[in-house]
Amino acid sequence: MLLEIVFLTIVFSHITRKNFGAVLAYSMQSLAIAMVIFNSFLLTGATSLLFIASLVLLVKVIMVPFFLARLIQRHEIKFSVSTYLNVPLTLISIAGLVAVAHSRKFAPLTSIVPANQLLLSLALSAMLLSFFLIINRKGAISQIIGILSLENSIVAFAIFAGLEQSFSLQVGIVSDVFIWFIIATALAFMIYKHFGSLEVTSMKQLKD
Amino acid sequence: MELLFLLSSFLVVALPGLLIRHVGVIEFVSLTASVIALVESFVIAFKVSSVGTYAPMSFFFVDALGAIVMLIIACVGLAVTIYSVRYLRQETLKDIIGFTRVRQYFVLLNLFFAAMFFAATANSPVFTWIFIEATTLATAFLISFYNKSSSIEAAWKYLIINSVGLFLGFFGTLLYFTSLSPIGAEGLVGWRSLVANAIYLDPLVAKIAFIFVLIGYGTKVGLAPMHTWLPDAHSKAPAPISALLSGVLLNVAFATVLRFKVMTDLVAGHAFSQNLLIIFGVISILIASLIILVQKNYKRLLAYSSIENMGIIVLGFGFGGLGAMSALLHMIYHALLKSALFLSAGTIFLKYSSTKIARIKGLLTALPVTSVLFFAGFFAITGMPPFGIFLTKVFILSSGMKTHPMVAGVVMFLMAIVFIGFFNHVTSMVFGKKPSEVKKCEEDIWLVIPPFGLIALALFLSFHLPLFLTTLLNDVVAHY
Repeated sequence: MLLEIVFLTIVFSHITRKNFGAVLAYSMQSLAIAMVIFNSFLLTGATSLLFIASLVLLVKVIMVPFFLARLIQRHEIKFSVSTYLNVPLTLISIAGLVAVAHSRKFAPLTSIVPANQLLLSLALSAMLLSFFLIINRKGAISQIIGILSLENSIVAFAIFAGLEQSFSLQVGIVSDVFIWFIIATALAFMIYKHFGSLEVTSMKQLKD
Repeated sequence: MELLFLLSSFLVVALPGLLIRHVGVIEFVSLTASVIALVESFVIAFKVSSVGTYAPMSFFFVDALGAIVMLIIACVGLAVTIYSVRYLRQETLKDIIGFTRVRQYFVLLNLFFAAMFFAATANSPVFTWIFIEATTLATAFLISFYNKSSSIEAAWKYLIINSVGLFLGFFGTLLYFTSLSPIGAEGLVGWRSLVANAIYLDPLVAKIAFIFVLIGYGTKVGLAPMHTWLPDAHSKAPAPISALLSGVLLNVAFATVLRFKVMTDLVAGHAFSQNLLIIFGVISILIASLIILVQKNYKRLLAYSSIENMGIIVLGFGFGGLGAMSALLHMIYHALLKSALFLSAGTIFLKYSSTKIARIKGLLTALPVTSVLFFAGFFAITGMPPFGIFLTKVFILSSGMKTHPMVAGVVMFLMAIVFIGFFNHVTSMVFGKKPSEVKKCEEDIWLVIPPFGLIALALFLSFHLPLFLTTLLNDVVAHY
């Protein structure tokens, strides 16, 4: 159920026109990831997992959406920017990517833990959809959310494939993602200041 | 101990650097950290050449490949730091930047060094990933350093494309950990454990994982078609940073790809990874050579030359055997020469205030020493004797002639195109009549010594390889 939430929030990020909607979807998605990790804590009793779940909750569910919401409010960019493909074509592409993730080509990956084959296919679909979100959306905020969703999808895949890393590594990864987010937000702010828009297509200085 | 001293020296300089209020102090401590790094890197390299590996604690692991990468970072790093001091002083005099920017520069520069050293020496593949990602974070603001629209665009492209690439690389990295599932390993898993357990990898999973790793880290290496960020970032960053990005960072990322190649080869055979490397190598050389021919900006020209040279290095490892040995030497020569070329380009920029090739005329009159260095660098990087790159190119091609004659033939033709393109651009810059607004004055010795030192070192290594370096090179070829 939690992985389905991750998947659906990414689909929602594709079709929503409001930036706030996409930020909220990311927050929900991260909450689902935190709950998956918390669930692992309940099953194993490892306190390190409880710490990681709390860290994810603090960083990805609260802080990142808060900063993104402030960026949107500050620049009054409530509606998201356009996409390269229109909504029907986007939905067709999403269906195609989900089919690819469930195809035999990726069977070696989704069969890593045979009992979780469907879940791993779903996590792989979420990864492909996140990648597509980064490519299809023209807004800097959407690209940030796309990359953060890609990271969440990889984390989900790792959990269900039994590839969780040691405590120190997980803390390192979350910290890295948070610093990345701060820098991406600062650059997005600079883009708005210089180009008057958060649409990446407005940046056309480097064409030679 | 040496490694901890080295790493902490950069962190000690970087973090309190924000509080230092005197430019001279920041410059001095940065130079000191770079000297320490150079000395300690040599100490570690000597140890690795005599013992095989250096692992002072479970977190760190330096093998021959790691030692070579460390030496590259340290040598180029010292030259870049010396050059940066003078370069930033000149920019400050011209009112291009102020004290805050200088401080920000040195803090980020030292963090960048620390991240690269950590990435080259981390024992865990996931830590390596974290620190390679950290290099992206440290350099994003160095690329947008001048706070111009074009540099912000370059920084955004760099951040987004590299982050997507690195997350794909991260996914590939995690897939290699499936080899540990049968034994249920816990805690910090190092490179050696992964290699030892590689036989438990599903060959298909290993192949998919390597594709993700090659595309992911290959983005950072600048391999085509994931290279689009590189010319923008390298041309918009301050010249010393471009030197580090081109000469050092690309090699740090490529060394990581090589580590995963070993694991893949153990279960999927050599042919799979080698064919992929050949494909990416040829595409990179092809795209770079065609763009070099029509390039209008000399910093972008050097950036595309980096894509071409990384393509040659990747191709060498794709051919294997003598090709791999030559590729490794090519990596060292390229790191030294390309950094020297970017530093010379920085001096040219200071003089002409332009990066357009069409606006640079009469370099020989305006900057005689720098123009000679730039010309020598051009000859060396395009593979003219007596520089070592001539031999590495010949050996890589001769190695390819045996197994992939068509590929070797096409690459030889593309190398000729690169030479013609480069020759055309460089001669138009060096010769001709200097614009009247460009005044001829004495060159700053501290802007000349660093590129001269790097070219001299490349020339020295072209004729003589010290014993410890030969041992390291042989060790790398035997393992990778």
